[in-house]
Order: sequence, then C-alpha cells, then structure tokens
Amino acid sequence: MSGIIEVENLSFGYMRRGLILKELSFEVMAGTFLAIAGPNGAGKTTLLNLLCGLLSPNAGLIKIDSADIDSYSIKELAQKVAVVRQEFVPVFDFTVTETVSMARTPYLGIFGFESKSDRQIVNEAMEATDTAQFTSRTLGSLSSGERQRVFIARALAQDTPIVLLDEPTSFLDLKHQVGIYDLLKRAQLEKGKTIVAVTHDINLAAQYADVALLLGGDCSYHTGIPQAIFLPEQIERVFGVKTFAGNVGEEKFFLPLGKLAKDVGIITTNTNRDKKQ
Amino acid sequence: MAEILTSKHLLIKVSIGLAVLAVIMCLCALVGTQKISLEKALAGPGDKAGENIDYEIFVGVRLPRVILAALVGAALACSGVVLQAILRNPLADPYILGISSGAGLGVIIAILSGVSFSFWGGSPIAAFAFTGATITVWLVWYIGHFTGKSQVTGLLLAGVVINAFFSAVIMFLTSIARSQELRSTVLWLMGNITEKDFSELRVSAVCILGGIIGLFTISHKLNILTFGEEEAKALGVDTGQSKVVAFGLAAFITAVAVGLSGLIGFVGLIIPHGVRLVFGPDHRQLLPLSAIIGSIFLIIADTIARVIVAPAQLPVGVITAITGGPFFLILLARYSRKISWLK
Repeated sequence: MSGIIEVENLSFGYMRRGLILKELSFEVMAGTFLAIAGPNGAGKTTLLNLLCGLLSPNAGLIKIDSADIDSYSIKELAQKVAVVRQEFVPVFDFTVTETVSMARTPYLGIFGFESKSDRQIVNEAMEATDTAQFTSRTLGSLSSGERQRVFIARALAQDTPIVLLDEPTSFLDLKHQVGIYDLLKRAQLEKGKTIVAVTHDINLAAQYADVALLLGGDCSYHTGIPQAIFLPEQIERVFGVKTFAGNVGEEKFFLPLGKLAKDVGIITTNTNRDKKQ
Repeated sequence: MAEILTSKHLLIKVSIGLAVLAVIMCLCALVGTQKISLEKALAGPGDKAGENIDYEIFVGVRLPRVILAALVGAALACSGVVLQAILRNPLADPYILGISSGAGLGVIIAILSGVSFSFWGGSPIAAFAFTGATITVWLVWYIGHFTGKSQVTGLLLAGVVINAFFSAVIMFLTSIARSQELRSTVLWLMGNITEKDFSELRVSAVCILGGIIGLFTISHKLNILTFGEEEAKALGVDTGQSKVVAFGLAAFITAVAVGLSGLIGFVGLIIPHGVRLVFGPDHRQLLPLSAIIGSIFLIIADTIARVIVAPAQLPVGVITAITGGPFFLILLARYSRKISWLK
C-alpha cells in the first residue's frame, strides 16, 4: 500500500541561495501524524509550501493520493490538502463563523453560497474545536490560542484527508500548546486525518507524532518513529545544542542545556543545596 | 448556532435596498429650483408636447440625472470594495490609487483636443476615460510588481505616485487651456453630474451593471483574498485569475463612471466602510449593498449640490470631498495600527 503523501528525490532551492532540500524522499501513510522538525532555515516551511503546491520542486516528485501534485487544479488540491499557517490577524473584521465557512470555497458554485450540508460541516468543525462559543465574535477580538483553534476548525471544515500546519503553537503558552496538539491528535484518531505539522518543539513532537522527519539544515535528513529520530546525539548534531534526555513513563523528554546555564550551575543548584542541607 | 449568509437572506436585503433606492430616486427627482408635483409628473406627457411641464422636467431632466448619479455612485462604491479587498488595504479606492486620475487625464485630453468622433452612445469621452484608466491600472500593476515581494504596499505606493503625477499633468493642461474650455474642464475635474440623455445612459448602465454582476461572481473569492494569496490558494482560489478579473472590472466601471461625471472622490472609500461597519465584511453582501447605498449617497449629494446655492449649482465632488476628507482621517487613525503588518 502506498502512502497518501509520497515524496521522491525532491530537491528545491531559492534563486541564488543554493539547494535547501536535496534528494529528499519519504512517505506518509494515511491517518498518521508526521512532525517535521529542524533548525531555522532548514527548509521546514519550504517543504510545507511544496506539499501544498505553493512552490514547485526543482527536481523530484510529490504525489498526493497516488497522483502527481501538478495533475491537480488549485481547486482539486484544496479538496485534498488543508493548510494552517502561523496565526495572524486579518485586516477586515470577519467573524469566526465567516472565517470557518470560507473552508467550503473549493466546493461552492458560481455565486459562492454554502448549501445546507456545507453549513452542517462548518458547525461540526466548530463544535469539534470548541470554537462554536465564539460564532459571532471577530477574529481580532480573540486571543492567539482561540484564533489558532478557529484556523484549525477551518482546516477541518475544508474536509480534506490531509492537514498541513506550520508551527501551530509558536505563539502559545504551555496550556494552549497542549490544547492544540490534543485537538490535532483527536482529528487524526477520530476523523482519520493525516496530520503534517512543522514544529520547533521536539518534546510535543515526540509525544504526539507517529513519524518524525528531522531536517538537518545541510540538506541531510532523518525519518522514522520519533523515538528513533529524536536522540540526544542527533539533536546536538542538528541543532548544535546539548540536551538532557529522560523518560516520564513511556514518554521521552528533552531538556536543552544552554552553555550559560551549565557554566553558572543553574542546573545543579538544587543538588548543591540538597548536599548542604 | 452559526449564522452563515444565505442567498435568501441576501435577496431580501437587496430587495429592501432597491425599494429604498427607488423611493429616494423619486423624491430627489421632485426636488429642485422648479417645484413639481409627483401627481402631475406621473400623469403622463399630455396630448401636446410641452403641455405637462412637470412631466417634462421629471422624466426629461431630473430622472436621467438621478439615474446617472445612481450609476456613478454604484460604480465607484463597488470599485472601492474590490480594490480594498485585493490590496488588503482599507484605505484604497479608485481615486487614491490614481485610476480616476488616469481616466480623468484621458477625458481632459479629449476635451482640450476637441475630438468629436462618435463612440459609445455618441461621446468620445468615455473611450478616452477607459483608455486612461486601463493605462493607469497597467502602470500601477507593473510598478507594484517591479518593487518586489511586498506587492500590496508596492501597488498602493505606485497608485499614490501615479495619482500625483497625473494630477500634475491635469493641472498643467488646465492652466494652458483656453478660457472658454476652462470652466467646463474645471467643473468636470471637481466631479460634475449634469443632465444626459437616455441613450447615453443606457450604454453606461449596461456597462456598469454588467461589471458589477461580473464582480459579484468572484465576491466569495474576494473574502479569502483579504487573508492573503497563500491562504487563498490553499482554499482553492486561482489568485492570479481572480485578481486580473477584479482589477480589470474595477477599472472598467471606474472609467465609465469618470467618463460620465468627472473626478468624484471618496465615494469608493466612505461607502464600503459604512456598509462594512453595519453589515460586516462578507463581500457577497458588501458588494451589492455598497452599490445600492453608493447610489443613494450620490443621489442625495447631487440633490444637495443642485439646491444648496440655487439657482447656481455646485459640483457634486465638492459635497463628497467635504464629507469624505474628515472620514478618511478617522479611518487612517483607526486602521494605521492594523495595516502596519503590511510593511
């Protein structure tokens, strides 16, 4: 069985900047959660833009649902892949309902009015993301976490098998970060969505993702289950930062060890105090 | 639960709007230096020509002028709605972007060179206006793209620069004009609605209403374009095609409006904002309701311009600018923080 996303020997580079991605190959099976991690400038967002057809590869092939991505029209591709970008406040004051209902655009007729079933899908997506309480509020009046949930509701209402997310928790506090990942995991498990999330948080990635893709920043990459990819030596090589790895039950966590923190002994303060006592 | 705009709801709102528009048109056509009664005006022409003066004034003079104001108001308001959406800037309108100036320059050249070939219901002015507007759109588009990645800011700045340049050329041409041409040119520059015959109005009406219907078919895509090109593409909108259609039709209806009535500023700015404030930013209703309310606004402004210094008449552009200037400042203060992310 082939994956819902297949990437074969993909290479991409911006003009005059050399290649960012080189001969990248991986496959995402339907209904799985892929986390893409890597340092700044490694090409995570670029890869996401390639997967949603916004950029075209210099070489290689991207297949969505067994067909070349180029064989889809813009409208057809929007029925396969939904994208949630880093959150922003739009210029005009659209309400939450208006924003979520835009997801139905790829399915609308010439005058662009939603049918009864479209409205039903929008309502279900809002219920699932706990945004139904905000229906008539404007996006600008919501907090970052609430707004991000609205954009995820929109992606769910787009009713696509694949949802791509670009750093969905970058501006959120711990509670909202976990809330967003819980929401995505629920969409994966209950609705069978394939989730592809670019993230800087390897702890959340290790906890929620089934598969991880670690971009090295030098066109190298590693892919596999998070436990096999997120290893202290691997992370140190890619990010240039030492980490302390531990386990809480079956879950692995990583604590980055900053040079300054280590030198002044912040990490060991409690231990020293314990010794004195 | 969630309220999503339905075609039925929109139809009801548009029907109410059109009924109000019809009433305002009738009422404003009755107002003027020569008092006329509605009963006599609707009684028909009578047996001999010129027997019923009220009817002659109502149908022959006032009604065409009111219809003209309605068409121009609708065109400028819709053009403003569309330009604000595709430039993602609440301060854009055909006047500020230089499209009106481009059309205006075309018309000034037509007036001063005294061309008199027959085109579009007998007037060469509309053809010159359309040529001027099209060249401006092309220039704004080209310079906007030339300035690089941030096309939204680039397009707006290009519009402002071209507007300033064309205004200077218009002032130069006006200052070297012969005195008998000067008054009509200056009046026209200030935005002047005058009596036209029905044949000229018919062609313009078809052009403007056709353009507005064309824009309505992409109105749901305009909603998404206000979120940016990447978002729009992800939601299945062919952004390149939609922007060309939107820009092209907005320039077209602006050119027809400018050809009919000169440079009338701020309608394209005030009306979309007012309608958005009351009914929200959904372009599927913002566009038709702005057309109706733009019509009502310009009919009332023109009626004030006709009667306020009677028997003389003010150019309607004076009334719209007096209302629009302070409104623009309020908007600038309100949105300056919001649009800072475009930089």
